[in-house]
Amino acid sequence: MAARALTRGLLGLRHCQAVSGVSYCGGHQYVTAASANSPQLHIDEVTEKILNAPLDKPDFFRVSELFSLKDLFEARVHLGHKKGCRHRLMEPYIYGCRLDHDIIDLDQTVEHLQQALNFTAHIAYRGGVILFVSRRRQYSHLVETTAKDCGEYAHTRYWQGGILTNASIQYGQGVRLPDLIIFLSTLNNVFQQHVAIRDAAKMNIPTVGVVDSNCNPSLITYPVPGNDDTPVAVELYCHLFKMTINRAKNNRKQMDMIHGLSAPSPQSS
Amino acid sequence: MRSGVLKPAEKPIWYDVYVAYPPKRAPVYVKPLTRPSPKNANTVPEIFYSEDKVRAKFYEQYGTGPRPLDLSKVNFISTCQRFVDRYMELKSHNEQYDTALFEETGKALLQDGIVLRRRGFPVVDSLQVKVVAEPRSVG
Repeated sequence: MAARALTRGLLGLRHCQAVSGVSYCGGHQYVTAASANSPQLHIDEVTEKILNAPLDKPDFFRVSELFSLKDLFEARVHLGHKKGCRHRLMEPYIYGCRLDHDIIDLDQTVEHLQQALNFTAHIAYRGGVILFVSRRRQYSHLVETTAKDCGEYAHTRYWQGGILTNASIQYGQGVRLPDLIIFLSTLNNVFQQHVAIRDAAKMNIPTVGVVDSNCNPSLITYPVPGNDDTPVAVELYCHLFKMTINRAKNNRKQMDMIHGLSAPSPQSS
Repeated sequence: MRSGVLKPAEKPIWYDVYVAYPPKRAPVYVKPLTRPSPKNANTVPEIFYSEDKVRAKFYEQYGTGPRPLDLSKVNFISTCQRFVDRYMELKSHNEQYDTALFEETGKALLQDGIVLRRRGFPVVDSLQVKVVAEPRSVG
Protein backbone atom coordinates (compact mmCIF):
# COMPACT_ATOMS: atom_id res chain seq x y z
CA MET A 1 0.00 0.00 0.00
CA ALA A 2 2.82 2.36 0.88
CA ALA A 3 4.50 1.67 -2.42
CA ARG A 4 1.34 2.46 -4.30
CA ALA A 5 0.81 5.70 -2.41
CA LEU A 6 4.42 6.59 -3.16
CA THR A 7 3.81 5.86 -6.83
CA ARG A 8 0.74 8.04 -6.90
CA GLY A 9 2.41 10.97 -5.23
CA LEU A 10 5.58 10.76 -7.28
CA LEU A 11 3.77 10.24 -10.56
CA GLY A 12 2.16 13.60 -10.04
CA LEU A 13 5.46 15.23 -9.03
CA ARG A 14 7.46 13.80 -11.93
CA HIS A 15 4.81 15.22 -14.22
CA CYS A 16 5.86 18.71 -13.17
CA GLN A 17 9.58 18.17 -13.75
CA ALA A 18 9.39 17.57 -17.46
CA VAL A 19 12.48 17.49 -19.63
CA SER A 20 13.42 21.04 -20.56
CA GLY A 21 11.82 22.08 -23.81
CA VAL A 22 9.31 19.53 -25.04
CA SER A 23 7.42 17.58 -22.39
CA TYR A 24 6.63 13.94 -23.10
CA CYS A 25 3.39 13.16 -21.36
CA GLY A 26 1.30 10.10 -21.91
CA GLY A 27 -1.62 11.30 -23.97
CA HIS A 28 -1.51 14.98 -23.03
CA GLN A 29 0.61 17.47 -24.87
CA TYR A 30 1.52 20.68 -23.14
CA VAL A 31 2.52 23.38 -25.59
CA THR A 32 5.12 25.55 -23.93
CA ALA A 33 4.30 29.18 -24.55
CA ALA A 34 7.98 30.10 -24.83
CA SER A 35 8.65 27.72 -27.71
CA ALA A 36 8.87 30.58 -30.17
CA ASN A 37 11.86 32.21 -28.45
CA SER A 38 15.36 31.51 -29.86
CA PRO A 39 17.12 30.49 -26.63
CA GLN A 40 14.39 27.87 -26.18
CA LEU A 41 15.04 26.62 -29.73
CA HIS A 42 18.73 26.41 -29.03
CA ILE A 43 18.05 24.38 -25.91
CA ASP A 44 15.78 22.13 -27.95
CA GLU A 45 18.55 21.47 -30.45
CA VAL A 46 21.08 20.72 -27.76
CA THR A 47 18.61 18.42 -26.02
CA GLU A 48 17.96 16.60 -29.27
CA LYS A 49 21.67 16.16 -29.80
CA ILE A 50 22.13 14.83 -26.29
CA LEU A 51 19.22 12.46 -26.69
CA ASN A 52 20.20 11.07 -30.07
CA ALA A 53 23.95 10.76 -29.56
CA PRO A 54 23.91 7.42 -27.70
CA LEU A 55 21.65 5.75 -30.26
CA ASP A 56 24.40 5.38 -32.84
CA LYS A 57 26.58 3.00 -30.89
CA PRO A 58 25.42 -0.57 -30.19
CA ASP A 59 26.42 -0.54 -26.52
CA PHE A 60 26.81 3.06 -25.44
CA PHE A 61 26.43 2.34 -21.74
CA ARG A 62 28.65 -0.76 -21.84
CA VAL A 63 26.05 -2.93 -20.17
CA SER A 64 27.68 -6.11 -21.46
CA GLU A 65 30.54 -5.50 -19.04
CA LEU A 66 28.22 -5.71 -16.05
CA PHE A 67 27.77 -9.48 -16.18
CA SER A 68 29.21 -12.60 -17.79
CA LEU A 69 27.91 -16.06 -18.57
CA LYS A 70 29.79 -17.43 -15.57
CA ASP A 71 28.00 -14.96 -13.25
CA LEU A 72 24.66 -16.14 -14.60
CA PHE A 73 25.63 -19.77 -14.12
CA GLU A 74 26.79 -19.22 -10.56
CA ALA A 75 23.57 -17.38 -9.78
CA ARG A 76 21.72 -20.50 -11.01
CA VAL A 77 19.84 -18.53 -13.67
CA HIS A 78 19.84 -21.54 -15.97
CA LEU A 79 17.61 -23.67 -13.74
CA GLY A 80 14.04 -23.89 -14.93
CA HIS A 81 11.01 -25.70 -13.61
CA LYS A 82 10.05 -29.30 -14.29
CA LYS A 83 9.07 -30.64 -17.69
CA GLY A 84 5.38 -30.75 -16.81
CA CYS A 85 5.32 -27.02 -15.99
CA ARG A 86 6.92 -25.98 -19.22
CA HIS A 87 5.16 -23.38 -21.36
CA ARG A 88 5.10 -24.20 -25.07
CA LEU A 89 6.31 -20.76 -26.09
CA MET A 90 9.40 -21.07 -23.88
CA GLU A 91 10.68 -24.09 -25.78
CA PRO A 92 13.04 -22.16 -28.09
CA TYR A 93 14.77 -20.65 -25.05
CA ILE A 94 15.35 -23.97 -23.30
CA TYR A 95 18.66 -25.75 -23.83
CA GLY A 96 17.52 -29.17 -22.75
CA CYS A 97 15.89 -31.29 -20.11
CA ARG A 98 18.04 -33.11 -17.54
CA LEU A 99 16.02 -35.78 -15.73
CA ASP A 100 12.82 -33.73 -16.16
CA HIS A 101 14.42 -30.43 -15.03
CA ASP A 102 14.47 -27.75 -17.73
CA ILE A 103 17.80 -26.04 -18.32
CA ILE A 104 17.56 -22.59 -19.90
CA ASP A 105 19.99 -21.76 -22.69
CA LEU A 106 22.37 -19.23 -21.16
CA ASP A 107 23.81 -18.10 -24.51
CA GLN A 108 20.41 -16.79 -25.49
CA THR A 109 19.88 -15.37 -22.01
CA VAL A 110 23.09 -13.36 -22.29
CA GLU A 111 21.96 -11.77 -25.55
CA HIS A 112 18.46 -11.05 -24.30
CA LEU A 113 19.72 -9.63 -21.03
CA GLN A 114 22.12 -7.34 -22.87
CA GLN A 115 19.31 -6.03 -25.03
CA ALA A 116 17.04 -5.55 -22.04
CA LEU A 117 19.68 -3.72 -19.98
CA ASN A 118 20.61 -1.57 -22.95
CA PHE A 119 16.98 -0.60 -23.43
CA THR A 120 16.49 0.29 -19.75
CA ALA A 121 19.70 2.33 -19.82
CA HIS A 122 18.47 4.38 -22.76
CA ILE A 123 15.07 4.92 -21.19
CA ALA A 124 16.68 6.04 -17.93
CA TYR A 125 19.00 8.31 -19.91
CA ARG A 126 16.00 10.03 -21.44
CA GLY A 127 14.42 10.55 -18.05
CA GLY A 128 11.76 7.91 -18.40
CA VAL A 129 9.67 6.62 -15.52
CA ILE A 130 10.50 3.00 -14.75
CA LEU A 131 8.22 0.76 -12.74
CA PHE A 132 9.43 -2.47 -11.11
CA VAL A 133 6.69 -5.08 -10.75
CA SER A 134 6.94 -8.36 -8.94
CA ARG A 135 4.24 -10.27 -7.16
CA ARG A 136 6.60 -12.58 -5.29
CA ARG A 137 6.31 -11.84 -1.61
CA GLN A 138 9.76 -13.27 -0.92
CA TYR A 139 11.45 -10.51 -2.89
CA SER A 140 8.96 -7.71 -2.36
CA HIS A 141 11.25 -5.82 0.01
CA LEU A 142 14.30 -6.35 -2.18
CA VAL A 143 12.51 -4.99 -5.25
CA GLU A 144 11.25 -1.97 -3.36
CA THR A 145 14.72 -1.14 -2.01
CA THR A 146 16.21 -1.57 -5.49
CA ALA A 147 13.68 0.87 -6.92
CA LYS A 148 14.38 3.33 -4.12
CA ASP A 149 18.12 3.16 -4.75
CA CYS A 150 17.63 3.89 -8.45
CA GLY A 151 15.19 6.70 -7.84
CA GLU A 152 12.49 4.82 -9.74
CA TYR A 153 9.22 3.20 -8.73
CA ALA A 154 8.04 -0.22 -7.64
CA HIS A 155 4.70 -1.95 -7.32
CA THR A 156 4.86 -5.24 -5.45
CA ARG A 157 1.37 -5.37 -3.98
CA TYR A 158 -1.99 -6.43 -5.33
CA TRP A 159 -2.51 -4.95 -8.78
CA GLN A 160 -5.86 -3.22 -9.03
CA GLY A 161 -7.54 -3.60 -12.40
CA GLY A 162 -7.44 -0.02 -13.58
CA ILE A 163 -4.03 1.22 -12.55
CA LEU A 164 -2.80 1.72 -16.11
CA THR A 165 -5.99 1.54 -18.15
CA ASN A 166 -8.12 3.68 -15.87
CA ALA A 167 -5.38 5.95 -14.56
CA SER A 168 -6.99 9.30 -15.33
CA ILE A 169 -10.08 8.41 -13.33
CA GLN A 170 -8.31 6.64 -10.48
CA TYR A 171 -5.49 9.13 -10.01
CA GLY A 172 -6.89 12.32 -11.47
CA GLN A 173 -6.29 14.04 -14.80
CA GLY A 174 -2.88 14.42 -16.37
CA VAL A 175 -1.10 11.51 -14.75
CA ARG A 176 2.20 10.42 -16.25
CA LEU A 177 2.25 6.70 -16.84
CA PRO A 178 5.47 4.68 -16.62
CA ASP A 179 7.61 4.57 -19.76
CA LEU A 180 9.00 1.13 -18.98
CA ILE A 181 7.80 -1.69 -16.77
CA ILE A 182 10.34 -4.24 -15.49
CA PHE A 183 9.00 -7.56 -14.26
CA LEU A 184 11.18 -9.49 -11.84
CA SER A 185 8.58 -12.24 -12.06
CA THR A 186 5.86 -12.30 -14.71
CA LEU A 187 3.49 -14.54 -12.76
CA ASN A 188 1.21 -13.55 -9.94
CA ASN A 189 0.58 -15.58 -6.81
CA VAL A 190 -1.86 -17.92 -8.55
CA PHE A 191 0.67 -18.81 -11.28
CA GLN A 192 -1.22 -16.89 -13.93
CA GLN A 193 0.23 -14.22 -16.13
CA HIS A 194 0.40 -10.84 -14.40
CA VAL A 195 -2.33 -8.44 -15.46
CA ALA A 196 0.21 -5.67 -15.93
CA ILE A 197 1.73 -7.38 -18.99
CA ARG A 198 -1.57 -7.20 -20.84
CA ASP A 199 -2.30 -3.69 -19.62
CA ALA A 200 1.12 -2.40 -20.62
CA ALA A 201 0.62 -3.84 -24.10
CA LYS A 202 -2.73 -2.06 -24.27
CA MET A 203 -1.25 1.27 -23.19
CA ASN A 204 1.79 1.00 -25.50
CA ILE A 205 4.26 0.76 -22.65
CA PRO A 206 7.32 -1.39 -23.40
CA THR A 207 8.06 -4.18 -20.94
CA VAL A 208 11.18 -5.99 -19.84
CA GLY A 209 10.62 -9.21 -17.94
CA VAL A 210 12.37 -12.24 -16.50
CA VAL A 211 10.49 -15.21 -17.94
CA ASP A 212 10.89 -18.60 -16.33
CA SER A 213 10.11 -21.86 -18.10
CA ASN A 214 6.45 -21.74 -17.03
CA CYS A 215 5.78 -18.18 -18.29
CA ASN A 216 4.34 -16.81 -21.54
CA PRO A 217 6.93 -14.57 -23.24
CA SER A 218 4.83 -13.52 -26.20
CA LEU A 219 3.56 -10.15 -24.97
CA ILE A 220 6.77 -8.95 -23.34
CA THR A 221 8.86 -6.58 -25.46
CA TYR A 222 12.27 -7.67 -24.17
CA PRO A 223 11.94 -11.02 -22.42
CA VAL A 224 14.89 -12.40 -20.50
CA PRO A 225 14.64 -16.18 -20.13
CA GLY A 226 15.95 -17.09 -16.70
CA ASN A 227 15.21 -18.37 -13.23
CA ASP A 228 12.89 -16.16 -11.18
CA ASP A 229 12.68 -18.31 -8.06
CA THR A 230 16.18 -18.55 -6.58
CA PRO A 231 17.18 -15.69 -4.23
CA VAL A 232 20.67 -15.49 -5.76
CA ALA A 233 19.25 -15.02 -9.24
CA VAL A 234 16.76 -12.33 -8.20
CA GLU A 235 19.47 -10.47 -6.28
CA LEU A 236 21.62 -10.57 -9.39
CA TYR A 237 18.85 -9.13 -11.56
CA CYS A 238 18.11 -6.36 -9.06
CA HIS A 239 21.79 -5.51 -8.86
CA LEU A 240 22.14 -5.39 -12.66
CA PHE A 241 19.10 -3.19 -13.19
CA LYS A 242 20.17 -0.86 -10.41
CA MET A 243 23.68 -0.52 -11.90
CA THR A 244 22.39 0.22 -15.41
CA ILE A 245 19.85 2.78 -14.31
CA ASN A 246 22.31 4.61 -12.10
CA ARG A 247 24.95 4.54 -14.81
CA ALA A 248 22.53 5.96 -17.37
CA LYS A 249 21.36 8.72 -15.07
CA ASN A 250 24.89 9.75 -14.13
CA ASN A 251 25.75 9.79 -17.82
CA ARG A 252 22.84 12.08 -18.48
CA LYS A 253 23.85 14.48 -15.72
CA GLN A 254 27.36 14.60 -17.13
CA MET A 255 26.10 15.32 -20.63
CA ASP A 256 23.85 18.08 -19.35
CA MET A 257 26.73 19.73 -17.54
CA ILE A 258 29.11 19.34 -20.47
CA HIS A 259 26.70 21.01 -22.83
CA GLY A 260 26.18 23.79 -20.34
CA LEU A 261 22.47 23.36 -19.84
CA SER A 262 20.80 24.81 -16.78
CA ALA A 263 21.51 22.95 -13.55
CA PRO A 264 19.33 19.83 -13.25
CA SER A 265 16.16 20.32 -11.24
CA PRO A 266 16.42 19.04 -7.66
CA GLN A 267 15.74 15.33 -7.46
CA SER A 268 12.74 14.36 -5.38
CA SER A 269 13.61 11.37 -3.23
CA MET B 1 2.05 8.09 -35.75
CA ARG B 2 2.19 7.36 -39.47
CA SER B 3 -1.46 8.23 -39.81
CA GLY B 4 -0.88 11.59 -38.17
CA VAL B 5 -2.97 11.05 -35.07
CA LEU B 6 0.04 11.65 -32.82
CA LYS B 7 2.28 14.57 -33.69
CA PRO B 8 6.06 13.95 -33.82
CA ALA B 9 6.51 16.07 -30.72
CA GLU B 10 4.15 13.75 -28.87
CA LYS B 11 6.02 10.58 -29.59
CA PRO B 12 6.75 8.47 -26.53
CA ILE B 13 10.19 8.39 -24.96
CA TRP B 14 10.86 4.80 -25.88
CA TYR B 15 10.05 5.11 -29.59
CA ASP B 16 13.50 6.14 -30.81
CA VAL B 17 15.17 3.59 -28.60
CA TYR B 18 12.86 0.84 -29.84
CA VAL B 19 13.60 1.76 -33.47
CA ALA B 20 17.33 1.80 -32.79
CA TYR B 21 17.40 -1.44 -30.78
CA PRO B 22 14.46 -3.62 -31.75
CA PRO B 23 13.91 -6.83 -29.81
CA LYS B 24 14.69 -10.22 -31.32
CA ARG B 25 11.03 -11.06 -31.58
CA ALA B 26 8.23 -8.54 -31.97
CA PRO B 27 5.94 -8.75 -28.91
CA VAL B 28 2.91 -10.13 -30.69
CA TYR B 29 0.50 -12.32 -28.78
CA VAL B 30 0.61 -15.96 -29.80
CA LYS B 31 -2.13 -18.32 -28.74
CA PRO B 32 -0.43 -21.36 -27.24
CA LEU B 33 -1.85 -24.44 -28.98
CA THR B 34 -3.28 -26.80 -26.42
CA ARG B 35 -3.34 -29.93 -28.56
CA PRO B 36 0.17 -31.40 -28.69
CA SER B 37 0.85 -32.32 -32.30
CA PRO B 38 2.92 -35.47 -32.89
CA LYS B 39 5.37 -33.50 -35.05
CA ASN B 40 6.56 -31.17 -32.28
CA ALA B 41 6.71 -33.83 -29.63
CA ASN B 42 10.44 -33.58 -28.83
CA THR B 43 11.57 -30.02 -29.50
CA VAL B 44 13.47 -29.88 -26.21
CA PRO B 45 16.28 -32.43 -26.19
CA GLU B 46 17.05 -34.54 -23.17
CA ILE B 47 20.48 -33.99 -21.71
CA PHE B 48 22.40 -37.21 -21.11
CA TYR B 49 26.12 -37.75 -20.96
CA SER B 50 28.07 -40.95 -21.58
CA GLU B 51 29.27 -40.84 -17.94
CA ASP B 52 25.65 -41.16 -16.81
CA LYS B 53 25.89 -44.95 -17.20
CA VAL B 54 28.75 -45.00 -14.70
CA ARG B 55 26.87 -42.66 -12.37
CA ALA B 56 23.73 -44.79 -12.52
CA LYS B 57 25.69 -47.93 -11.60
CA PHE B 58 27.51 -46.10 -8.81
CA TYR B 59 24.27 -44.90 -7.22
CA GLU B 60 22.71 -48.31 -7.59
CA GLN B 61 25.57 -50.06 -5.82
CA TYR B 62 26.85 -47.57 -3.33
CA GLY B 63 24.04 -45.08 -2.72
CA THR B 64 25.04 -41.43 -2.40
CA GLY B 65 28.46 -42.19 -0.97
CA PRO B 66 30.09 -41.47 2.38
CA ARG B 67 30.43 -37.68 2.01
CA PRO B 68 27.23 -35.57 1.93
CA LEU B 69 26.71 -33.37 -1.13
CA ASP B 70 27.39 -29.71 -0.46
CA LEU B 71 25.78 -27.78 -3.31
CA SER B 72 26.45 -24.31 -1.90
CA LYS B 73 30.03 -24.50 -3.16
CA VAL B 74 30.35 -23.90 -6.89
CA ASN B 75 33.24 -26.23 -7.62
CA PHE B 76 32.17 -29.01 -5.33
CA ILE B 77 33.23 -32.48 -6.47
CA SER B 78 31.11 -35.21 -4.91
CA THR B 79 32.23 -38.79 -4.28
CA CYS B 80 30.28 -39.88 -7.34
CA GLN B 81 32.05 -37.33 -9.49
CA ARG B 82 35.47 -38.44 -8.25
CA PHE B 83 34.50 -42.01 -9.04
CA VAL B 84 33.45 -41.05 -12.54
CA ASP B 85 36.63 -39.07 -13.14
CA ARG B 86 38.80 -41.96 -11.99
CA TYR B 87 36.77 -44.38 -14.10
CA MET B 88 37.28 -42.26 -17.20
CA GLU B 89 41.01 -42.00 -16.49
CA LEU B 90 41.40 -45.75 -16.12
CA LYS B 91 39.30 -46.35 -19.21
CA SER B 92 41.52 -44.15 -21.32
CA HIS B 93 44.67 -45.90 -20.02
CA ASN B 94 43.65 -49.54 -20.44
CA GLU B 95 40.89 -51.21 -22.40
CA GLN B 96 38.98 -53.41 -19.94
CA TYR B 97 35.42 -54.54 -19.57
CA ASP B 98 33.02 -52.37 -17.63
CA THR B 99 32.56 -54.55 -14.56
CA ALA B 100 36.28 -55.11 -14.12
CA LEU B 101 36.89 -51.41 -14.55
CA PHE B 102 34.25 -50.74 -11.92
CA GLU B 103 36.09 -52.88 -9.41
CA GLU B 104 39.39 -51.26 -10.33
CA THR B 105 38.00 -47.79 -9.67
CA GLY B 106 36.62 -48.91 -6.33
CA LYS B 107 40.03 -50.21 -5.31
CA ALA B 108 41.75 -47.05 -6.56
CA LEU B 109 39.45 -44.87 -4.47
CA LEU B 110 40.02 -47.12 -1.45
CA GLN B 111 43.72 -46.40 -1.80
CA ASP B 112 42.88 -42.70 -1.77
CA GLY B 113 41.09 -43.15 1.53
CA ILE B 114 37.45 -43.15 0.44
CA VAL B 115 35.61 -46.19 1.72
CA LEU B 116 32.68 -47.17 -0.47
CA ARG B 117 30.04 -49.17 1.31
CA ARG B 118 27.62 -51.23 -0.74
CA ARG B 119 23.92 -50.60 -0.35
CA GLY B 120 21.83 -53.24 1.40
CA PHE B 121 24.73 -54.73 3.30
CA PRO B 122 24.59 -54.00 7.05
CA VAL B 123 27.46 -52.13 8.60
CA VAL B 124 29.05 -55.07 10.38
CA ASP B 125 32.40 -54.79 12.15
CA SER B 126 34.45 -57.96 12.63
CA LEU B 127 35.16 -56.97 16.28
CA GLN B 128 31.44 -56.92 17.13
CA VAL B 129 31.00 -60.48 15.96
CA LYS B 130 33.82 -61.66 18.29
CA VAL B 131 32.33 -59.91 21.34
CA VAL B 132 28.95 -61.61 20.80
CA ALA B 133 30.53 -65.05 20.26
CA GLU B 134 32.57 -65.13 23.51
CA PRO B 135 29.70 -65.33 26.06
CA ARG B 136 28.18 -68.18 24.06
CA SER B 137 31.32 -70.23 24.21
CA VAL B 138 31.44 -69.70 28.00
CA GLY B 139 27.74 -70.69 28.46
